[in-house]
Amino acid sequence: MSRPARLARGALVAAAVTLGTAALSRLPYDAAPGDDALLRLSWRARGEQVRECRRLSAAELEAQPVHMRRTEVCEARSLPYHLRVRLDGRAVLDDTLYAGGARGDRPIYVFREVPLPAGAHRLQVEFVRRDGEQPPARNAGVGAAADAAAVPRHADATPARLALDTVLRLDADQIVLLTYDADRRALVARGAAAPPPAP
Amino acid sequence: MNGARRGVQGAARRALVWADAGMNRLYGWRHNPIYHSGALATALLLVLIVTGIYLLIFYRIGSPYASMARIDAQVWAGRWIRTLHRYAADAALLAAAVHALRMFAQNKSWGPRVLAWVSGLFLVFFFFVCGWTGYVLVWDTQALVLARAGARLLDVLPLFSEPLGRTFVGERPLPDAFFFINLFLHAALPIGVGLLLWMHVARVARPALLPPRALTRGVTGLLLAASVLWPVGLAPEAELFRLPAVAPYDFFYAFWLPAAAAVPVGAVWAAFAATVLGLLLVPRLTRPRAAVPAPSVVDERACTGCEQCYHDCPYEAISMVPRSDQRTTLVARVDPALCVSCGICAGSCAPMVVGPPGRSGRAQLEGVRARLAERRPGPRDVVLIGCTRAAAREVDEAAPSLRGAVIRHPVSCVGSLHTAVIEQYLRAGAAGVLVVSCPERDCWNREGAKWARQRMAGEREAELKERVDRRRVHLVYAAEAEGAALRAELDAFRRRLAVLGLASAADDVDLRALCDRAEAAG
Repeated sequence: MSRPARLARGALVAAAVTLGTAALSRLPYDAAPGDDALLRLSWRARGEQVRECRRLSAAELEAQPVHMRRTEVCEARSLPYHLRVRLDGRAVLDDTLYAGGARGDRPIYVFREVPLPAGAHRLQVEFVRRDGEQPPARNAGVGAAADAAAVPRHADATPARLALDTVLRLDADQIVLLTYDADRRALVARGAAAPPPAP
Repeated sequence: MNGARRGVQGAARRALVWADAGMNRLYGWRHNPIYHSGALATALLLVLIVTGIYLLIFYRIGSPYASMARIDAQVWAGRWIRTLHRYAADAALLAAAVHALRMFAQNKSWGPRVLAWVSGLFLVFFFFVCGWTGYVLVWDTQALVLARAGARLLDVLPLFSEPLGRTFVGERPLPDAFFFINLFLHAALPIGVGLLLWMHVARVARPALLPPRALTRGVTGLLLAASVLWPVGLAPEAELFRLPAVAPYDFFYAFWLPAAAAVPVGAVWAAFAATVLGLLLVPRLTRPRAAVPAPSVVDERACTGCEQCYHDCPYEAISMVPRSDQRTTLVARVDPALCVSCGICAGSCAPMVVGPPGRSGRAQLEGVRARLAERRPGPRDVVLIGCTRAAAREVDEAAPSLRGAVIRHPVSCVGSLHTAVIEQYLRAGAAGVLVVSCPERDCWNREGAKWARQRMAGEREAELKERVDRRRVHLVYAAEAEGAALRAELDAFRRRLAVLGLASAADDVDLRALCDRAEAAG
């Protein structure tokens, strides 16, 4: 191969690799194929807290170091909530949500996504506290001398029951956020167009 | 398992040999970008730092997209600098991937090279995370897709009590802290890259951190031209209440995105864990099952303490330590944990007292004597001393007509060849000696080809002695798959030898004794 031909080929290959790199740097990606819209449920709920105390037995106290011997240990936890979502009369979510954190004393974080076709939809949401239920990981081991008591409510505690029954009209690719408005103490839909007029 | 590994490695090696030969034809071995892929990644990192500093000056965490739009509106600077930043990041990752593939194909990941392999994997991971944070900083549709994908992956881990995905739902304004953390990571990770790079080359002597200037200029110039002529532009701003129907994405940093979006998060993590585990196990899986070549040893009684092997070792496996006898000079000592048994110390030692067992200078001369006892070269014969990894093997295989006139003498690396071997063949009556080396940047033992050239040119200790007729010795670079070029060189060499006339034997000299005397005099 002559030198000019080699140089020309070299330049051509280099240009092709560079252009290939540049092209791969901007590939189109269809992140939401189809004409669907999305209903997103996202809020933070700090529900009723229950404090459980129990007295330690003599043997348990003996097992503790002297400076850590307390006759009573208490743990607080938030009560779970039940989330039920119906879309056009059909149940799309039915779930019990527990408080976060290893001790179950963190807030409940609701974060769910429901894809749905564009158009008008009737949405019914219920978020109800389950007063009698223990979190699954904490059912056992509370102790024979357990003594449960409700902790005084915080001012910003989530109500025992939240509900929303509305009609949403969504365009293609639109996201509607269903969230909890702490000022109104109610569930609200954001990003949605006004519901269509009643027939 | 072992068969699959060999199959994958063999396929990678064949592809690499083919690509190397093509690039050598186009750019010559000195500027073959595949040979310099690791150094190119470092050079591109410097381009990223320089362009990144410019972007940092104009970026505002309080209004990320608006500030990026302002940068993009700077037609004379900002637009192409931002594009160059992007292209350089892509090219750096590509270069790093080629470098890793090269090391894998050439089976250079086990033994003392484990540190380089593992630190290299971390380097690539840091590059990935750095690129990810960089894309999120722009806060366009691509950023939102990447941010949500990242949150989706992280939210299944028991790390955060509050799902990260809630950050991007529009429930509350996106906090500045989010962009601050991303910017901090984007700027701080390169410091980690620098530290890892230091670790990456810690076990090699004289690491080539930058490619030749011409190659650096060529690559940077091409990326710059592409940046000016084809700027990336800005995607639409991220909208939290709208699904990003079509978002641009960078294949190099987000190649996994389409596949990951289509499968459960657990499957993504499982694939990621399997990939990481597989890559971390490469050194173990590729370690030869047969006996690993023994490390070099030093005959301490005969070592003169000249330090040449210490200087020539590409892996800093040799140190000079005080002697245990009464002599005041230091003595060479090999650290078996660092030695890869390349044998370069054998070629560097004029008195022939160091080298892997069976491959020291003395052992090499004994081997030549055994060969000569079998067949003495005729006055028209050419001895072809070739690295087993270079194209030397192909001469015999592809040109049977040459067999009668060519005597092959394979070596594991031309850097391990003691120059006395060349002299011995010529004294035995060979017409000439053609030394076939891998290209210098392709040497499996890093510096063997370079040291061999310098020794043959008399520029480095353990040199080819002046008494040797240089017209009958020729060094040629020919990588694997460059057999045709080697045959052409061989033919040309034979024609030059023919002009010189017939060679005559003069093997009444004991080269080993001669070398010993020369060393004693020196």
